[in-house]
Amino acid sequence: MAFPLQRPGPIPTRREFLGRLGAGFGSVALAQLLGAERLLGGEAGSGARPSPHPARAKRVIQLFMNGGASQMDLFDHKPALFRHAGEAFDPGKGVRVEAPTSEPGKVLKPPFEFRQHGQSGRWVSSVLPHLSRCVDDLAFLMAMQSRTNVHGPGSYLMNTGFLLPGFPCLGAWTSYALGRESDNLPAFVVLPDAKGLPYNGRGNFSSGFLPVSFQGTVIQSRAADASGSGPGGSNGFLLSDLSAPPSARYITPASDQDGLAVLQGLNRRHQEAHPTDSRLESRIQAYELAARMHLSAPEVFALEGETEATRRLYGLDNAVTENFGRRCLLARRLVERGVRFVQVWSGAGGPTGNWDNHANIVKELPPMCAATDQPIAALLTDLRARGLLEDTLVLWNTEFGRMPFAQSSEGRDHNGGTFVGWMAGAGVRPGVAHGESDEWSWKAAHDITTTYDFHATVLHLLGLDHERLTFRHNGADRRLTDVHGEVIRQVLA
Amino acid sequence: MTSSWSRTAALGAALCLGVATQAAPPDAAHWAYQPLGFPRPPTVPGRPVGNPIDAFIQARILPAGLPRAPEAPARTQLRRLSYDLVGLPPRPEELDAFESACAVDPSVAYAREVERLLASPRHGERWARHWMDAAHFAETHGHDQDRIRSNAWPYRDWLIQAFNADMPYTRFVQAQVAGDVLFPEDPFATVALGFIAAGPWDESSLRDIREDTLDRQIGRYLDRDDMLATVMSVFTSSTVHCARCHDHKFDPIPQRDYYALQAVFSGVERANRVFDPDPDVHRRRQELLHRRRQLDRGDSNLLHAATTRAAVDAWRVRNVTAPVEWQELATQTHIPTATGVLTRQADGSFLASGTTPERDTYTVLAPAPSGRVTAIQLELLPDASLPFQGPGRQSLNGNLHLSEFRVLAHPPDGGAPRVVALVNPTADFNQEGWTIAHALDGDEKTAWGIHPEEGKAHRALFELKEACEFPPGTTIAFVLHQLHGGGHLIGRFRLTTTGAPGPHRAIPAEFSAWAHREPSSWTPEQWTRLAGHVLREDLRRELAALPTPSLVYAAAADFDPDGSLRPSLNPRPIHVLNRGEITQPRDEVGPGALSCVAALPARYRVPDGAEEGARRALLAGWLVSPDNPLVWRSIVNRVWHHHFGRGLVDTPNDFGRMGSAPTHPELLDWLAVWFRDEARGSLKALHRLIVTSATYRQSVRTTRSGAGDPDPDNRLLAHRSPIRLDAECVRDAMLLASGRLDFRMGGPGDMQFDLQPGIHVTPRVDYTRFDLDSAAGGRRSVYRFLFRTLPDPFMDALDCPAGDQLTAVRNNSVTVQQALALWNNALVARQAEHLASRLETEPGTVESRIGRAVVLTLGRPAASEELRELVAYARRHGLAAGCRLLFNANEFVFVD
Repeated sequence: MAFPLQRPGPIPTRREFLGRLGAGFGSVALAQLLGAERLLGGEAGSGARPSPHPARAKRVIQLFMNGGASQMDLFDHKPALFRHAGEAFDPGKGVRVEAPTSEPGKVLKPPFEFRQHGQSGRWVSSVLPHLSRCVDDLAFLMAMQSRTNVHGPGSYLMNTGFLLPGFPCLGAWTSYALGRESDNLPAFVVLPDAKGLPYNGRGNFSSGFLPVSFQGTVIQSRAADASGSGPGGSNGFLLSDLSAPPSARYITPASDQDGLAVLQGLNRRHQEAHPTDSRLESRIQAYELAARMHLSAPEVFALEGETEATRRLYGLDNAVTENFGRRCLLARRLVERGVRFVQVWSGAGGPTGNWDNHANIVKELPPMCAATDQPIAALLTDLRARGLLEDTLVLWNTEFGRMPFAQSSEGRDHNGGTFVGWMAGAGVRPGVAHGESDEWSWKAAHDITTTYDFHATVLHLLGLDHERLTFRHNGADRRLTDVHGEVIRQVLA
Repeated sequence: MTSSWSRTAALGAALCLGVATQAAPPDAAHWAYQPLGFPRPPTVPGRPVGNPIDAFIQARILPAGLPRAPEAPARTQLRRLSYDLVGLPPRPEELDAFESACAVDPSVAYAREVERLLASPRHGERWARHWMDAAHFAETHGHDQDRIRSNAWPYRDWLIQAFNADMPYTRFVQAQVAGDVLFPEDPFATVALGFIAAGPWDESSLRDIREDTLDRQIGRYLDRDDMLATVMSVFTSSTVHCARCHDHKFDPIPQRDYYALQAVFSGVERANRVFDPDPDVHRRRQELLHRRRQLDRGDSNLLHAATTRAAVDAWRVRNVTAPVEWQELATQTHIPTATGVLTRQADGSFLASGTTPERDTYTVLAPAPSGRVTAIQLELLPDASLPFQGPGRQSLNGNLHLSEFRVLAHPPDGGAPRVVALVNPTADFNQEGWTIAHALDGDEKTAWGIHPEEGKAHRALFELKEACEFPPGTTIAFVLHQLHGGGHLIGRFRLTTTGAPGPHRAIPAEFSAWAHREPSSWTPEQWTRLAGHVLREDLRRELAALPTPSLVYAAAADFDPDGSLRPSLNPRPIHVLNRGEITQPRDEVGPGALSCVAALPARYRVPDGAEEGARRALLAGWLVSPDNPLVWRSIVNRVWHHHFGRGLVDTPNDFGRMGSAPTHPELLDWLAVWFRDEARGSLKALHRLIVTSATYRQSVRTTRSGAGDPDPDNRLLAHRSPIRLDAECVRDAMLLASGRLDFRMGGPGDMQFDLQPGIHVTPRVDYTRFDLDSAAGGRRSVYRFLFRTLPDPFMDALDCPAGDQLTAVRNNSVTVQQALALWNNALVARQAEHLASRLETEPGTVESRIGRAVVLTLGRPAASEELRELVAYARRHGLAAGCRLLFNANEFVFVD
């Protein structure tokens, strides 16, 4: 029996191999800290390997509608639902119909008027008046498909590619692969609904088994009526541990500034006695970065620096749109300053105030649309006006869709069979619609986009090959796309 | 171009770009599956053998031409040893004493410290946390409904006790897989099953959605997937979970093995499981529960056992051949009711008439019967005057709802009435969800009902908790609360009592037609029903007599149903799923383990009708067999990993081809065999062997290696590498220095956050609103309540896993978030203040106090330059600010 000392093969962690790159460990450690080196592809051309293809998108803003936005009440216009409203739902061929939390009810017609919009003639219902004017900028995925009808697994799947907790999400993979563009801000920022975290809490923004530096940095926003500032925050935005707690009165800007200098002196002397450990140097750099982040964050949060016209565009003057609008505007400011991936959530977990409209579509869906419609349209307009849409990818997603038949009499149950998402901006072909659901919008029928295909396409736009972006964990080379995924070429420009 | 090439190679290695690694077929000759050898430690001519670890290590260092590092300074050694064995730094006085003792006899002094630390209760706390990582233990479910598991903590306490007591590894493994079956005499062996249930649980899929959906089935497969992955990753370092959709691509693990392991766990769910700390009570309850499961499964041996026949005979004597005589109460009166009228009938019953109110309470007063009273009978009687013949007054069906039944004894002297406690309520018929137990549960919102069996007589019996003889002149008040509303009132009823010895049970109406006939005339089905009823009555009484049990969240086949989560009577059938798809089931498979371990059978023959526990017991036996090389190599490698920061195999959960090969295969085998045979599975003996080796006691390298370093990764261990403290050690060390560390052990997790109800199931958790000075704030980190989807951001920033993935090796990151957390988090800021206050209570100067703070945090006297800088800083900004700097120092969070 032979035991080779070191097999060729995938052994070292990312930190170890970076550490092993040897000369000038300080710069390597710093690079690792910033995540600034490009591991794969990318126009910067690290020389490490030929890029599979050029990146079209440098950064991503993902708008996530928590709860399962109802595709047939928003985008997926199905005349059959109007014709057969109130009848028993029978997709034919003796196919069994099941709903996860209820007894399947009668066919429920969408309670909103549908019209075609733009050059592309996309159908959009009357609850999204602002977005309907943008349809020619969007590429719709009309037949997305999940593997589950349950929120927890569904949200994990849409965010991490797996039904179970513990896997890195899209934003974490993106920052792992592409690193950070800014020295002062995190690579991946999450802006949850002011009402609370989505289903799965922070699990949706987790870096899973990737190093913790790739997880989403959560910036909480306060509800409009709350006071404007607090520890680590300003303008109602709050980033945990950005500043010392007010309760520690002995900590002042002067004590911080002097203290950092003394601390770095201590650390330098310690590091000189341990010259082989690059982590010690990295820690020294981390404190300098932290200090810079502390100084730069308030500027990012300062929405009052925006023009009145911009503030109005995002709906900051209207209580209905104010919170989501503020977060969309912050998202733009973040990507402008080099944040790689921003996720903006609409809706917290729970029975109301999100897109999980079991009880009553007419009453529950319009408020969600009203809160987000104008800000989303504003974000697209604003990004375009600033030239950012060229290399910023905007995604609108949800974890699954809803059923063509009623739950009780006026709600809809979860449906992973088909749902809608859209993409816009960098590298996306505008005005197209890919895929089609069946005549009921019950199941995806043609040109299906699985969650894996969707993730593969997003990574592709970022210049990454989803089959090559892997991380060894517990015996498997894990990918965002598991063992699946095809890039949807039809939505690429 | 060399650098560009090497970078490409490094990238390929680190990112594992696939293709090439997929070429070779699975290899049964792979090192991990080979039987354990017992290589002799190499000898160097002219040198004593000493610790065999050093012999193996040195045999590789010498040929590589590497210089050997000297022994680390005494203080460094003790700091390292103390963190490794108990997770806390030594106190300054311990360091001083050790340094002095080393001047006399270093090896004696060191050995004494090793024994002191191994004997410390802190040791179990340290090593339990390592195991909690491996098992992905947390105390909430971790999906969209991230519900709190109030009873997960006993497993954590079991781990701490097991490590402190140095439980032999064999038993440690067996208990966590099948402790309930293998060690029935030990209540805490049931607690050990918390291991299998430690991971996340998808409440929506497994409890809330409909049973008849594919989503439910998928949820079950994935839930068992987590169980088997936990057991096999942790104990065997194999990645069998990679064989769910197809045969393992790299290791000799066929897909059938994966499903055989699914079958091992197909009879258990994650649920609250009862146990009794008192072993006698535990044994008794488990026997009763076992008998109840036998009954549930229609065990014919039990139904036809001689004891069962005797129980049925006794039942017949009581109820049929010599039935209890019920005495009518003497003159009765009643207190007028809300609006209705109660009229006494010739047979001693009361009939209600008049307006039917929504709700009512009837109170009947009667002189206490003379002689003993053991039970009370409430008969409900039909009557032509009642809707649908009654016996209730509900106008649409004749039903009724008895919310509460209370009996009071008014003494002859007119003193305060005494409650007559009633127990063991039974009725001849219970409406579904409206059982007679509700009439005694003290909850006025629940009640007894009889729908759809209206129009017939019914009866309910209540035993007195203690048989009573009432003094003459006592008046008994029978109070019948009927508070459900909707006119669910009793129409006609009669109250009688008996003094006959119990038990008194109402015969279910379903038996009344034939139970009076001889048993020989009963059909087999009638026998089964009646015998089952009698045994169940006896079981209920015996279980009720036991003290309230404790609960642990664990693997369970027997638990109280929760929503649609119900125990399965038998293990669910498991099919191989083609491509892992739930919609493509293939052959059914029985329980088994890995077929690549050639020395052991891989499929189990489980007797028909055996309980599911037999399957787990067989797997436990497979795991702890001396011939299972995976298990013994796995554990010694895990322990090595925690002492050196890296295992001999640096993928402790993966000994397959995708994992790493051992750097020192002979040492790994020698340790495994030594641990199994010489140490007899004593983990403390293994710790002792490792930490007393010269390899362990070396110093770190203080000079930069040249470009030609043959071992830049220090895989040969020619010196030690610094280790960054984990999140728990950082927090605990701050609390120890600040004087706030509380050494109380065990009990429910300390919630170090503010907890508020959430919008739905998942609560709102705010770590910033926690009162750091509260009692929960000072406890060791191992006792923190662990929220899976809402982990503590401070601990998270220091790479503490959230319990969503098995964590054999923690990440060891250096990030901006981490710097921000240590610099700004309220925990650090507050402990710095506590440390400063502690120093200020002692006499001294700023210099002496800063000097003391350096000793308390860094474990060494301050050097003159740093003392000068820190003192100047503390003069300007206060002592607390100086202490905060020390908690942020690299030297504080790293151990040499």
